[in-house]
Amino acid sequence: MSGTPTLSVHGLHVSVDGKEILKGVDLEVPQGEVHALMGPNGSGKSTLAYALMGHPKYQVTAGAASFDGADLIALPADARAKLGLFLCFQYPTAIPGVTTVNFIRAALRAQGKEVPAREFLNRLAAEMALLKIDESFRQRYINDGFSGGEKKRSEILQLAMLRPRLAILDETDSGLDVDALRTVAEGVMQLAGPDMGVLVITHYPRILQYLRPDRVHVLHAGRVITSGGAELAQRIERGGYEPILGAVAAAPVA
Amino acid sequence: MTAPLAVRPAAEIGPDVAAALAAASPPWLADRRRAAWDAYATLPMPSSARDEDWRRTDISGLHLEQHRMLDSVNATVVGGMRREHDAAAPEAAFAIDAPGTYQVVENADALLAQGIIVTTLEDAASRHAELTRRALAPLAIDESKFIALWNAVWRGGVFVYVPAGVEALAPVWIAHAVAGERAASFPTTVILLEDSASLTVIDTYTSPKGDVELFSDTVAVMTAGRDSRLDYCALQQWGDGVWHVATRRASLGANARLRFFGATLGARVQKAYWEAVLDGAGAEADLFGLCFADGKQHHDHQSLQAHRAPETRSNLLLKVAVRDQARSVYSGLIDVAPEAVHADGYVQNRNLLLSRGAKADSVPRLEIRANDVRCGHGATAGHIDQDERFYLMARGVPREQADALIVRGFMDDVVDRIPHRGFAELIGQLLDAKIGGPAAAEQGR
Ligand SMILES: Nc1ncnc2c1ncn2[C@@H]1O[C@H](COP(=O)(O)OP(=O)(O)OP(=O)(O)O)[C@@H](O)[C@H]1O
Ligand SMILES: [Mg+2]
Repeated sequence: MSGTPTLSVHGLHVSVDGKEILKGVDLEVPQGEVHALMGPNGSGKSTLAYALMGHPKYQVTAGAASFDGADLIALPADARAKLGLFLCFQYPTAIPGVTTVNFIRAALRAQGKEVPAREFLNRLAAEMALLKIDESFRQRYINDGFSGGEKKRSEILQLAMLRPRLAILDETDSGLDVDALRTVAEGVMQLAGPDMGVLVITHYPRILQYLRPDRVHVLHAGRVITSGGAELAQRIERGGYEPILGAVAAAPVA
Repeated sequence: MTAPLAVRPAAEIGPDVAAALAAASPPWLADRRRAAWDAYATLPMPSSARDEDWRRTDISGLHLEQHRMLDSVNATVVGGMRREHDAAAPEAAFAIDAPGTYQVVENADALLAQGIIVTTLEDAASRHAELTRRALAPLAIDESKFIALWNAVWRGGVFVYVPAGVEALAPVWIAHAVAGERAASFPTTVILLEDSASLTVIDTYTSPKGDVELFSDTVAVMTAGRDSRLDYCALQQWGDGVWHVATRRASLGANARLRFFGATLGARVQKAYWEAVLDGAGAEADLFGLCFADGKQHHDHQSLQAHRAPETRSNLLLKVAVRDQARSVYSGLIDVAPEAVHADGYVQNRNLLLSRGAKADSVPRLEIRANDVRCGHGATAGHIDQDERFYLMARGVPREQADALIVRGFMDDVVDRIPHRGFAELIGQLLDAKIGGPAAAEQGR
């Protein structure tokens, strides 16, 4: 299946509260590849992530998005998750009263990946140890009162437990200290491979040094304006977005 | 134990029944019953047009004279209640309040050996007249139509007395079982704790599932002496056709501590008064409630935190979720008397609306006549948060199940504060069953 796009987005237009944010996004992430999505603040990266995951507030007004050939647009979020899509939220929502352990269990069951209670608890304990998450977090309400870094680690814990086919990481590296970043990146690297592709949204090259993206895309004003190899991230780090925007604007229209 | 009071089987509520019950009672109680019947006959039926308390709760469809005195017990109902006891609190004494036919107190040897009395109120009225009178003191005979009626015609009942300085070794679990079309029942719990005594009571109310029309005029009256501790948990799970009027009132002496929990799940129409009267200096009351209403249920809770002495503290939190066409009405008052200096009181009602047709009204109030007090109130009502639902769905959890998890989560902090663990687990299971969330039911602990 190598080379076949798992995620395929064409001419995607998305509005939020009547305001158009994405204005024709084209993007393909083949099976098992790691792609990075970069772009200035407010360019629409999180909007794309939410729209792909199926948040009802994000309205697709034109274009198409499919995953493994299945049309995503018509599906509710839970059906997209069952197809193998996973979003590590930039700002994970706190849900008072729902414990982390019960939630992960419910999610596994909903995805038909349930395992016996003992095995589940063992796996959870192992993943938590790898991610250096304290045991007490099992019984804590999901994201409730978690620090920024704890939320990010909890997202990766869910990723590790649910084993999706494509993980969208929305600034999972932001707000992590150096050690936590390594822990999280190593956690993702363990999972990434032929079975799991990654679309990593980031502002920093550091996480990309760990994840070694196959492709880097730049989103600007609701469009992917350029794509390249890993070296594109280095160019952005050194010179910012200005030269890239300029180069794109100066390029003759094909 | 004395023989239960006899009345003509299936007699309608009326003067004959009241007279027969008075004739069969000890003299002090007979006088009380007669006076109560006169008050009942004189007082008008509460009306949503006339009475502020009943403004949002319409009981014009309740025809008391058509209801017959309960005179039989449904073995299936009692069996189910016994199983709940066995699973949740096997250590607890089990007392059945099923008037007219039989009363049983089981598993109470340890408590009886401590000098604790667990018996029917009828029995207590004959054998422990003075204690019974003291225990009933917080309730005036003629204070309302329904309390007057209860005073006139109650039968059976459960009475629990803990002598001074005695800490009950086990809880008392009370089962009020009612069945029968158009039955009138007067479920009764009377608790008296002497100074420095402590006790946990679990008070449960069940009738057959389904919409058989029944009337329940419930009284739970508690008196807690100086330095005593009372944990009281009520579970109302009547069938769908029940008219439920209830007064639960605790009167607290100096430095007494009450932890009150109430779960409201059943009945067609409920009007429940939850009242803590802090009579002694330093008394403390924490009241927590959960209510889940669906279908056409109408649940009215009215609370009172009466601060009557200095340095008293009270806190009430009622969490309500309403679905379908259900309606919740809440009104609560913190009433601080002039002598209650340094009173500290808080009252809070939080509502979760799960359907367009569901409604929740909330009116918490403060009435403060003392200086230097700290009192507050809060009320909220809202729908399920879209982002919370999306977060759960994004992990594969279907919408209904996500909502069930959120509703259950909304109630979880109150479930956590239920004083008895086994009973708290039962409440959790009953909530899960009613909310319909299989995922929440399974604990990954
Ligand atoms: N509800 C809304 N109404 C109007 N504009 C909105 C709404 N939600 C988002 N936007 C706008 O959409 C644009 C894209 O937001 P988005 O969060 O997708 O950016 P981003 O690329 O993820 O930025 P960052 O790097 O800061 O995370 C922003 O200008 C934002 O203000
Ligand atoms: Mg963003």
